[in-house]
Amino acid sequence: MNLLDIRNLSIELIHNEQSIRAVDKVSLSMKEGEVRGLVGESGSGKSLVAQAIVSVLNDKWHVHADRFHWRGIDLLRLSIPERKAILSRDIAMIFQEPMACLDPTTTIGEQLAEAIDETQLSGFFWQKKQQRLTATIKLLHKVGIKNHSACIKSYPHQLTEALCQRVMIAIALARQPILLIADEPTTAMENTNQEQIFKLLASLNQLKNMAILLISHDLENITHWTNTITVMYSGQFVEAGTTAQIFNKAMHPYTQALVDSSPMANLHLPAKSRLMTLPGSIPILQHLPIGCRLGPRCPRAQQDCVKAPSVSNFHGHKVSCHFPILQNPKLKKTKRA
Amino acid sequence: MARDKIYLEEVFPSPFMQLWLIFRRTPVAMVGFSCFIFLIILAIFAPVLAPHSPIEGQLNMPLLPPAWHIDGDVSYLLGTDELGRDMLSRLMYGTSLTFGLSFIVVIISLVVGVLIGSFSALTTGIKSSFLNHFLDVILSIPSLLLAIIIVAILGPGINNTLWAVVMVLIPQFVHITRYAVKEEFRKDYVLASRLDGASPFRILYYSIFPNIVDRIMSQATLAQSAAILDIATLGFLGLGAQIPLPEWGATLANGLDLFYIAPWTVYLPGLAILFAVVVTNLVGEGIRHALKLRKER
Amino acid sequence: MTELLKVEALTKSYYSRDYWFNKKLTTVLDSVSFTIDKYKTLAIIGETGSGKSTLARLLVGAESASSGIIYLNNQVLKSGSYKQRCQHIRMIFQDSGTTLNPSLTIQQLLDEPLKLNTPFDEKKRTDLIRQTLQKVGLLGDHMSFYPHMFSGGQKQRISLARAIILQPQVIILDEALASLDPSLRSQMINLLLDLQQQMGLAYILISHNFGIIRHFSDDIIVLSQGKVVEKGQTLEVMAKPQHKVTQKLMMNQSFQLRSKK
Repeated sequence: MNLLDIRNLSIELIHNEQSIRAVDKVSLSMKEGEVRGLVGESGSGKSLVAQAIVSVLNDKWHVHADRFHWRGIDLLRLSIPERKAILSRDIAMIFQEPMACLDPTTTIGEQLAEAIDETQLSGFFWQKKQQRLTATIKLLHKVGIKNHSACIKSYPHQLTEALCQRVMIAIALARQPILLIADEPTTAMENTNQEQIFKLLASLNQLKNMAILLISHDLENITHWTNTITVMYSGQFVEAGTTAQIFNKAMHPYTQALVDSSPMANLHLPAKSRLMTLPGSIPILQHLPIGCRLGPRCPRAQQDCVKAPSVSNFHGHKVSCHFPILQNPKLKKTKRA
Repeated sequence: MARDKIYLEEVFPSPFMQLWLIFRRTPVAMVGFSCFIFLIILAIFAPVLAPHSPIEGQLNMPLLPPAWHIDGDVSYLLGTDELGRDMLSRLMYGTSLTFGLSFIVVIISLVVGVLIGSFSALTTGIKSSFLNHFLDVILSIPSLLLAIIIVAILGPGINNTLWAVVMVLIPQFVHITRYAVKEEFRKDYVLASRLDGASPFRILYYSIFPNIVDRIMSQATLAQSAAILDIATLGFLGLGAQIPLPEWGATLANGLDLFYIAPWTVYLPGLAILFAVVVTNLVGEGIRHALKLRKER
Repeated sequence: MTELLKVEALTKSYYSRDYWFNKKLTTVLDSVSFTIDKYKTLAIIGETGSGKSTLARLLVGAESASSGIIYLNNQVLKSGSYKQRCQHIRMIFQDSGTTLNPSLTIQQLLDEPLKLNTPFDEKKRTDLIRQTLQKVGLLGDHMSFYPHMFSGGQKQRISLARAIILQPQVIILDEALASLDPSLRSQMINLLLDLQQQMGLAYILISHNFGIIRHFSDDIIVLSQGKVVEKGQTLEVMAKPQHKVTQKLMMNQSFQLRSKK
């Protein structure tokens, strides 16, 4: 059974009587214990999708979806408070700049203690303080912080970014979520720290069977850590499949361009030669192309591309393109998804 | 090469124009702004617009009630005071005294404060600290007491009120300018300007001032509402505008003895002061609101 | 090959207040020396706090060195005089959001270095601005826009236009490509390579991303706590690092490269 099943999610912005579709019919599904990467450059709407899942978008965004199932429960049929209750219990989210997401005026210990659920504590009210402290220390050990006493008493600005990110993950784990959404958790860090955070997420995934949705703009950075990847461009769904399929046998021209721009692919190029790129840049919200939004930049674009392409499924490798790059031209589509 | 102009129909406004467009869309701020312009026009053109003289009174018509009373006379629209002077003309001339003077006070203290604040931000160390804090002594004295001191030294009069209120307002501008300029200095584009070979004054004028002018404007409106109240209070106490100048505070003090027989001599100047302060605050709120919205975009 | 830029024993130290009246001497850069030629790129790597940004600021003239000499074309560069330096050495910053003055149009922004350093009249300046914008891949029409209307990649291009408009000889890229998306990064790299061939520029690249460094730079120096611990050609140093610090940095990079499927 799918953990999360979203079909045709669209997010629109109504501004001065014009509606702009920031996210256009994106489908996403996740299984239990799966680590999925959501890759897209700036302006692709990936953060919007994550915030729409957790339902924290404010009123100026209008969210529609054909299907929005969570563990078999149809969330669209529930009222908004019921939906929020279920989602906040089971899904947790961590963000890009951890130091900015922690309260600068309270110590780490107090913030962690705040996040701990009342129901996990038992006993009389005078015992709860001690229990909160033990639960806090346990959480810090779980994310790999050994000297918890120094950490509990310090303020966020006294810790490094990597340590703050671990504290954020600890706060996210406090309610024992089933899905953790990581919105570009390591973009502001150096390479060594990035590796540590990813290792931590991978160990949490293995030990507690927690599904992780890893959002990033750097494809090759997350290929080591994910099972499946979904690629988005300018608010549209581009390609989804296992990591090996996406990296080695990319079918959409955009995914191919992303793979080509990673250093791994460029190892064999002679130094100081031109890199392969798509011309042009990402369209801005006021001037979105009709149909397939990669049309103006795509090297394989033809007249059909002014119509939005539908999603085709090749043995679990979904791609949304009129003219996908087929390694084996005789590959038949398994079903129209 | 590609065509030069493809975005013909789009207009990209400068940050200042953006502020004005947002301001224009808030109805309350626009109402305040048009009343503000009305008061300025009144302050400038009062001698032309006022029906009667504010100083010479018709001694045979004292204490006439306003025109909507049964005893009132429509040629004296708002009634007369105890010397037969027309209240409407007095209030109009008073606009140029209370409101107009507060405007001039704010402009003088703005110019002086911004100059001192910029110098203080450009230098470092003891010189900068000294410039920042040397007028803080004045901040600690309430403007009323300062005016009494100045009056004790120089004698009463409306000119001394002007100097007293100017001195009180300068430190506020010094602080806010220094803080804003120091903040802008940390940004990279100032460094880029410096590396291009621009002198500090050129950097200040071209790079920094356009970016801080909106913050200074919002502080100026706050200062102006304080200035209006200060000038009116000093006039009320008899330390500011002297008889027979029709300043609002002085007019109010004049009518206080006759409150039970002729209340309009008290409430009309009071309403005028209230109107001016509310209008200034509305404009200030409009600017601050527009600044916040522009930052969100 | 003629040396374009030669740096000899550059040192930077400053006094900071320790407590009461004690002044502590902190040395940020300790006797750094290197040379760069035309058409070549030098990469500077090191962990945070090793003095890379200070070195960049010293070279471009934002701060003056405590001791040491910088030679440009065998002429000594005097510290503190911007006019002499800005025509030859320019810099591109990391955070494109604050490098452009939000109240000026692009034309006014690019006009400033021209007005201060060249005797051209207004028509010639406008033409030069238009040409420079086209060289970096923007339209001439963009002159009348304000910076907030552009995306991050375009803002970096405008910073690049501001850097090349005075026809310099050395450009310093202080983590300029770090905040861009991968595809925009590739476009910028292609653009920088083209300009290097056209104008004979030398680049000094400060970055954490070893993929770019491997692809883009010819020589590399490694800084650690203000001292040069290793220097040489990029491919050799990356394949066989000699010093401990370099080895540690390379290990993280090769972890990333090795683990790809």
